[in-house]
Amino acid sequence: MTGPGIVAYVVLSVFLFSIGAVGVLVRRSPLIVLLALEIMLNAGNLALIAFSRHWGNGDGQIFALAVMVVAAAEAVVGLGLIVAMSRRRVALDVDKLTTLRG
Amino acid sequence: MITASWVALFAPAVGVLLIALARDLISKKQAGYIAATSVLVSFGSSLCALINLLGEDPEERSHSSSIWTWLSAGSFKVDLQIMVDPLSVLMMLIVSGVGFLILSYAVGYMHGDGEERRYHAYKALFVFSMLLLVQSGNLLLLLAGWGMVGLSSYLLINFWHQRASAVHAGKKAFIMNAFGDATFAIAIFLLAQRVGALDFGTVFSQAPEVIDKSSVAAVVIALGLLGAAVAKSAQVPLHTWLPDAMEGPTPVSALIHAATMVTAGVYMVARTHVLFELAPAILHLAAVLGAITLLMAGFIALVQTDIKRVIAYSTMSQIGYMFVAVGLGAYGAGMFHLMTHAFFKALLFMAAGIVIHALAGEQDIRKMGGLGKRLPLTFRIFVIGSLALAGIPPLAGFFSKDLILAHALAEGVIGPILWVCALVGAFLTAIYTFRLLFVVFFGKPSEHVEGHLHKERFEGPFAMMWPVGILTVLAVVGGLIEIPGAWHGISNWVEPVAAPLQEPEVWMEVLSPIVAVALAVLGAGIAWRLWGTQSDTPARLRERLPQVATALEHKLYWDEAYDRVFSVPAQQTALFLRRAIEGPIVLGSVGELGRSVRALGGRIARVQSGLLRSYALALAAGLAVIIVVFISVR
Repeated sequence: MTGPGIVAYVVLSVFLFSIGAVGVLVRRSPLIVLLALEIMLNAGNLALIAFSRHWGNGDGQIFALAVMVVAAAEAVVGLGLIVAMSRRRVALDVDKLTTLRG
Repeated sequence: MITASWVALFAPAVGVLLIALARDLISKKQAGYIAATSVLVSFGSSLCALINLLGEDPEERSHSSSIWTWLSAGSFKVDLQIMVDPLSVLMMLIVSGVGFLILSYAVGYMHGDGEERRYHAYKALFVFSMLLLVQSGNLLLLLAGWGMVGLSSYLLINFWHQRASAVHAGKKAFIMNAFGDATFAIAIFLLAQRVGALDFGTVFSQAPEVIDKSSVAAVVIALGLLGAAVAKSAQVPLHTWLPDAMEGPTPVSALIHAATMVTAGVYMVARTHVLFELAPAILHLAAVLGAITLLMAGFIALVQTDIKRVIAYSTMSQIGYMFVAVGLGAYGAGMFHLMTHAFFKALLFMAAGIVIHALAGEQDIRKMGGLGKRLPLTFRIFVIGSLALAGIPPLAGFFSKDLILAHALAEGVIGPILWVCALVGAFLTAIYTFRLLFVVFFGKPSEHVEGHLHKERFEGPFAMMWPVGILTVLAVVGGLIEIPGAWHGISNWVEPVAAPLQEPEVWMEVLSPIVAVALAVLGAGIAWRLWGTQSDTPARLRERLPQVATALEHKLYWDEAYDRVFSVPAQQTALFLRRAIEGPIVLGSVGELGRSVRALGGRIARVQSGLLRSYALALAAGLAVIIVVFISVR
């Protein structure tokens, strides 16, 4: 098997994860926050697959599949929340959702 | 026999549980019957144990049995253990026998009271506690029974808890008894340290070997035990609770404060006589305290006007006799007087109960009079009880009191002094007993009596009368079990457990009764002269000696003195501490603590902004810190 070494994959994964994290932290639209979360998860997936190939066993791939399932479930809940928000005509802005303030 | 004793012990406890669990399922009368039946079972089992013991050699009549280890610490072990020997069986028979009669009487006496069930349950609880006390096979269990009779006595004294005076009297009895419990505990601690065991067999065989005679340890142990006995048996100086305890229902006074509980001190001294004989001075102190009590109570009883209080002082005085007996080492004589006293004093209380019942709760003898014609049966019963108490032959009190007198004469130096005291006491006994009899039953019916006794004869239902009848028979023939000079039923019975320290000679056993009976008859004659005939001598005597009369009416100022010395300073200290310490320091600091916690919480709550992105930032920052730390530390 040829191709880029493990370092390239991990660097790419860190890059993607950072993009996702910044997106979660700075964007106020819940939709975009959700998208950024997906990017973070997929960064994790990429790292898992890369290490799987590096070590030559399938553990990482199994983990990646599990992460995808969690991501799908999370997307369902997240989108459901967003739909519920828009139905109630609540502004789609996470900074305005402060009902749980202490 | 062992099984029978265990059954005897736990039958009343089962009775208590049944009454408590059945609640409203049973009628109030049935609750009374359950209590009485459970005690009857105890009595039957005690009889079984007695018959078994009678079949054995006198030297081998001592059995102990334990069902489980109550507590153990290293080699120190205390079992739930009972002791079956002549002394405990005698007490079991008295407690369950007289207990059964009084519980049956109480079914009639308490009829119509709002809380009858509670009363009967407490009464059975008392019998259980008392049996635990007399049956226990080690000192710790004895202390447990000791405390439990104190508790049931407290519960029953303030049974009528709506009456402030009853609540007061209950507290007083409990506190004074707690003092005795404490000294008892000190004695037990010291014994456990010196002997390393608490069961009677080990203690009584080991104690004389490891504790020197009249050493400090022996004196402290005996003093501790004596303190407990004095408190429980209402002897000077811890006697003031007994007259107040008469606030309880009359059957309670009969059972607890005359027949059984207050005589527990006498039983305890006889039981632990080995420990007392290690400190002969303390044993003599017991006799001296008994003599002081019997004289003092006799004098006070002369002027009291409450029918139950007069009998209560008489009880104190008679227990004084028992203390004289056991203090001189005449354990059999003490136990014999305990038994006959249980019969005739319970009888007197029950007769007084019938009088009080008939007069709608009136206890003041000045409002009574002329009841002899209205309550002829009660009158006869009261006469028999009074004769037995005064020691007129051939009734029960005659034999037992005179045996004590004979033993006193046989003791060396201190004996004759006590003998004289006891004779003066017998004289006083006759005066106050017949005073009560003449004032209550002779003369013209007072207005109060006329107002309350409409029916020609009202002496109480059959349920109340038959136990009184049995007790009357016992008060008449109970003394024949031991006839000084002829045969010694009780003394020989108790001897294997507690051998007497002296043997009275025949002339002492003959001289004492003659002098005592002469004095008793003289006392009765004086009482007749003063209160039987319409004379103004009592009033004149009162005018002649006003200080003496006032002092006696104030019960020689014991209560006032205790108030001054203990009660008032304690209250003052408590008030001072409330003002100076509890108010500013304790209460203030608690409030301040609460306020500062709230303020801190308010400040921390501000972190919970509800801003999702700041939470996420905190998470990410935390993660970053952890990663940096992990990498750099490695």
